[in-house]
Amino acid sequence: MSGSAFPVQGAGRGIASPGLALLALLIGLFLAAFLVIPVVTVIFVAFQPKGSTGFTLINFVDFFSTDLFRRSFWNSAYVSLMSVVIASLLALPLAYYTTRFEFRGAALVQTLGVIPLIMPPFAGAVAMQLLFGRNGTVNLLLDDWFGFKVPFMEGLNGVIFVEAVHYFPFILVNLSTSLRNIDRAMEEAAQNLGCSGFRLFRRIVFPLAMPGYVAGASLVFIKVFDDLATPLLLNVKDMLAPQAYLRITSVGLADPMGYVISVVLIVASLLAMWLSTLALRGKDYATVQRGGGGTVKRPLRGIDRVLAYGAITVVLVLVLAPHVGLFLLSIATIWSFAPLPDGYTAAHYARVLSESGQYITNTLIYAGLAGLIDVVIGSAIAYLVLRTGMPAGRWLDYVATAALAVPGVVLGIGFLRTYFGVTLPSGQSLAAFWGMIVLALAIRRLPYALRACMAAMQQISVSLEEAAQNLGATRSRTVRRIVMPLMLSGVAAGFVTSFATAAVELSATMMLVQTQSDAPLAYGLYVFMQSPAGRGAGAALGVIAVVIVGLSTYVSNRLVERDMAARSEAKE
Amino acid sequence: MISRRVALAAAALSVALAGAAHGQAPSGKVTVVTSFSKEVTDPFKAAFEKAFPGTTLEVQNRNTNAGVKFIEETKSNNGVDLFWASAPDAFEVLKAKGLLEAYKPKADGIPDKIGHFPINDPQGFYSGFAASGYGIMWNDRYVKANKLPEPKEWEDLATAPYFDHVSMAAPSRSGTTHLTIEAILQSAGWEKGWGIVKAFSGNLRGVTERSFGVPDAVNSGQVGYGIVIDFFGFSAQGAGFPVKFVYPSLSTIVPANIGVVKNAPNAAGAKAFVDFILSEPGQAILFDPKIRRLPVRTASYAKAPAGLPNPFEFKWLADPKSKFDVEKSEKRFAAVDALYDQLVTFQHEALKAATKAIHDADAAIARKPSPEASRLVAEARALVARMPVSEAEAASPEMAAAFTGGKEKGPRQAELEQKWAAYAKENYAAALAKAQAAQQAAK
Amino acid sequence: MTALLQPVGIDVEGVDLAFGATQVLRNVSLSVHPGEFFAFLGPSGCGKTTLLRLIAGFNVAQKGRVLIGGRDVTALPPWRRDVGMVFQSYALWPHMSVARNVAFGLEERRLPRSEVAGRVDEALDLVGLRHLKDRKPSQLSGGQQQRVALARTIAVRPQVLLLDEPLSNLDAKMRVEVRRELRELQQRLKLTTIFVTHDQEEANTICDRIAVMSEGIVQQVGAPMDLYDRPANLFVAGFLGTANFLEEGGRKVMVRPQNVQLGAEAATGAFMISGAIVHREFQGATMRYVLETERGPLIVDEPYDPGRSPYAVGSQVNAAIRPERLVAVA
Repeated sequence: MSGSAFPVQGAGRGIASPGLALLALLIGLFLAAFLVIPVVTVIFVAFQPKGSTGFTLINFVDFFSTDLFRRSFWNSAYVSLMSVVIASLLALPLAYYTTRFEFRGAALVQTLGVIPLIMPPFAGAVAMQLLFGRNGTVNLLLDDWFGFKVPFMEGLNGVIFVEAVHYFPFILVNLSTSLRNIDRAMEEAAQNLGCSGFRLFRRIVFPLAMPGYVAGASLVFIKVFDDLATPLLLNVKDMLAPQAYLRITSVGLADPMGYVISVVLIVASLLAMWLSTLALRGKDYATVQRGGGGTVKRPLRGIDRVLAYGAITVVLVLVLAPHVGLFLLSIATIWSFAPLPDGYTAAHYARVLSESGQYITNTLIYAGLAGLIDVVIGSAIAYLVLRTGMPAGRWLDYVATAALAVPGVVLGIGFLRTYFGVTLPSGQSLAAFWGMIVLALAIRRLPYALRACMAAMQQISVSLEEAAQNLGATRSRTVRRIVMPLMLSGVAAGFVTSFATAAVELSATMMLVQTQSDAPLAYGLYVFMQSPAGRGAGAALGVIAVVIVGLSTYVSNRLVERDMAARSEAKE
Repeated sequence: MISRRVALAAAALSVALAGAAHGQAPSGKVTVVTSFSKEVTDPFKAAFEKAFPGTTLEVQNRNTNAGVKFIEETKSNNGVDLFWASAPDAFEVLKAKGLLEAYKPKADGIPDKIGHFPINDPQGFYSGFAASGYGIMWNDRYVKANKLPEPKEWEDLATAPYFDHVSMAAPSRSGTTHLTIEAILQSAGWEKGWGIVKAFSGNLRGVTERSFGVPDAVNSGQVGYGIVIDFFGFSAQGAGFPVKFVYPSLSTIVPANIGVVKNAPNAAGAKAFVDFILSEPGQAILFDPKIRRLPVRTASYAKAPAGLPNPFEFKWLADPKSKFDVEKSEKRFAAVDALYDQLVTFQHEALKAATKAIHDADAAIARKPSPEASRLVAEARALVARMPVSEAEAASPEMAAAFTGGKEKGPRQAELEQKWAAYAKENYAAALAKAQAAQQAAK
Repeated sequence: MTALLQPVGIDVEGVDLAFGATQVLRNVSLSVHPGEFFAFLGPSGCGKTTLLRLIAGFNVAQKGRVLIGGRDVTALPPWRRDVGMVFQSYALWPHMSVARNVAFGLEERRLPRSEVAGRVDEALDLVGLRHLKDRKPSQLSGGQQQRVALARTIAVRPQVLLLDEPLSNLDAKMRVEVRRELRELQQRLKLTTIFVTHDQEEANTICDRIAVMSEGIVQQVGAPMDLYDRPANLFVAGFLGTANFLEEGGRKVMVRPQNVQLGAEAATGAFMISGAIVHREFQGATMRYVLETERGPLIVDEPYDPGRSPYAVGSQVNAAIRPERLVAVA
């Protein structure tokens, strides 16, 4: 058990049936075709001397002997760590209170908590500046009333603030799933022994929810480490991802450093992922009663009630502020150097709805399909890693996770380079087929779903599967009848994060969209946000994106709640 | 709205006639990759499709860099007819890689040059269709609330009141910013020019990565002033934002361009579109309040809306100082970008600290003059302005090879960048110390 | 365990409890005497676990109150009740070793570290598992897990001990062994204990008194033999052992199979029925016959006597029941 990064649990460990080998092979081929090959065709220049062929590591020597890159590296590491800390502080109360207590509107809070993830490109940034910027609403009012300003959006601390608000849902979603999966007797036994409140959380609840927390926290760390949009928005350029982006997208220069940094990003992300699996290594998180247990929600009384609602309100107001700003922007006539817009209008919505119906349909199809592909592959990899002990499983996990660190533009170029020459029977290039956008989105968001599926499977006791196999269920029927239903909430969490973030993804899409009629919403948003007059319309489209994705999230949260409720009743 | 409808009707009529005269009407889908926004492309699309029934203009919006990469990556199976964007350097890249096809548009009334800058590519691989000049845009509310002055010249932006209130895109990210810097370098000379550039760069609040990030920040009031291309200012005014725009007396006017892509699937359609936007009705569309670009066709200005300048009448364009040596610019293109990034963009905190200290020292001297302090401040300014590379070195083939991967043996890009960054850091720290000493001396 | 606590009683008074629309406990009242080994017995869904969790504080009643040692604990949260509970699933925390699990409650009570270590050893000694203190729960057998759970609970020396189906996850041999150990331990500690089970044999063998529950109602409380001999109603009679129900003088009466004699002559005062034997089962110590009579089926157990040949299936026999063996049931 302690020899590998993951404790392989239970039935048939180490047994690779032909069916499983085929499954691993198919996933391997998929990842090779749509991740490894496209990316390698782009970043191999990191290993070439500039302007010629051959192999060299001189570019990596240059990387480490350049002050700027070293500084960027440490800045990225610092910002990522601090973002995890702040994001955890935001996510913990939301996750804990909504899963453990009778909490009015728990599904609503869970949904609202995911919304920050859906930050439409450009429009979200403008809205954020209008609220928290140096001359945003908050600072204009502070200056007016008290004569000072708070630099929310400046320097590395500004990046930490924005990243934490943006990505804390990763922790929220994964932690909530873990919390729901803990057998209630685990906590009741502690309460029975005199433990309550924060100590109960620290000693029992949180340690048992570790798989979900680590999954979420490692995602936040890597995502922040690899995020280029937020630092660039705040004009922070001495971080790694922005440096890679700036160099890869500079016109006409054959600068290998961008690709060198991409390699460094990929390696660093894998390292972080590896460390997070080390943290969980050799520990057993399966809670035996998962099959029948479920959680009982405790009532909240008196001061606890006030504190809980207070904490959640503060967090929600903070993390949803950008979306309030986005909404204001979408109904604003002109909003410039003022706490609120000059006037209000519905014209932006009228314009967007008349011009952009296709964008919305396309987005739902693309992001939905990408989310489905992600949870299917994510569950399959989780099964291979946690239940069969095939070394191939672990490799698939690492490769899929590496997608997190691949800049979208690199993947987009890789897709074009690999598939543009391939012609479909219709005469169209394969790279121009809309399905390629789906695949690119699926690859980009696979790590999210994978981590969620992994955490969900880690919490299912193997004995439940063994029971099914003992009763004559084959391995595949056990998966379908026992594992999948038990993983449902984890899978739903994975789908939601993949879907929601795919719906607003732009960087790879930008390379692959080849006709207006195939374009998703994020692309439409980009088009609007390139002109002063399109700002309101872009914000309106952004609000529509948030609403659609938010509603989908809400529905899936309700489904999970109902599933959980049904299970608790069965026990009673 | 009325002017736009008139323009569309006129376009439909005259181009229909033109098409009939040519005898072979274009048809089918014309695919254009462009960095222009919907506000710009939609009116052109509508007018063109109306003028040539049976054609559709398929617009693919991509930022300039992504557009260039896209055309480069898809050349094996090219599906793009036209590349349509502002930055001349992007066209230069495409041209150098043999991805454009030469075409001489059937257009009249378009001069060869605007000021000293050629409107069309001399080899005919791309054509200018609108003129754009760089200038200073500011948010009126911001400026009034902070009791700040209204600028007239680049040098104004280097003075103390503007500290931390200005924004600009990095020249490596914006072709037009690059040309503005280059124009300053050419008119003021290498050393002095960099002095001006670094002096106002020290006042920047931030160096943005997107050209549009600058007008965006000015429009929303996050910064007071932006160094922008003119139509950003004009179209923001057109959209109702409280902003103003001015051309400094030494600016540069550069054309925004369109070029036919090599092996275009619908070459006839592509050429028809080029002809169309250079025709009288096509040029008139540029006056649309949401576009507000300056036509290259001089006669079009007779119908220009109020407030829109005619760049062909700018006096400074005739000034010999605004002479623009295209060849010189080409040779040191990458070096200028990299120098700016290493000396300014990535050392911005140090540069700002030194600049702030110099402003403070100036203020101290104004209160209590001291020759010693004045000498120290002058030294500090000189330290900020110092360049690690001479004009000749910057334009050398070795330097170009370091950036573009040419054959000439020389230092690698990463080595140069590290050297320059270290140089700048050291000098800015020294300048800071001198300026602080000057403040002490004037106490 | 050195210092023994003074045992305390538990009183439940007029408790109503519903989960949503489902009424789970209806006007439940009962008293558990200090030092008693008490069972909640009933079929699944009868509310016995809910009642146990109510005493532990995990369920909240709509009406009524709970007193432990005379102290009203109704409003106290679980962690203030000083009630030890062993969960059906054992609920051992998988992220802690055996010793850490057992130490948990002591640490919560802020005992000095040296004392914690001593009491952990002491508790593990009581269940004979001190040698496994560094194992993780997943490395233990079911019986070992059960004992660790017990050790964890008694380590804190609770006022009362609640056991939720503690034997249900063990094999038959283990079950008999562990239930004896439980009884011995309880006697030694003089700890008021409530034991939830659906198995009447378990309840009968180790408990002082039993509350039989059905549909949220306490049907009868009493010592095992009292319940067996004098069940208050049909349910109790039927749930505790095999019973024959007969109509006698317009009222319902019950007789146990062993209290019926076959082949007897009509005796004075005895209650006589005749019928045909339709079924015969050899049960080791007894022989069971099922008779078809005019009053319905009748089950009769006779001591097995190898010297006597049993009745054949199909034969007509007389059955006699002494009147004092007839118990009226509601």
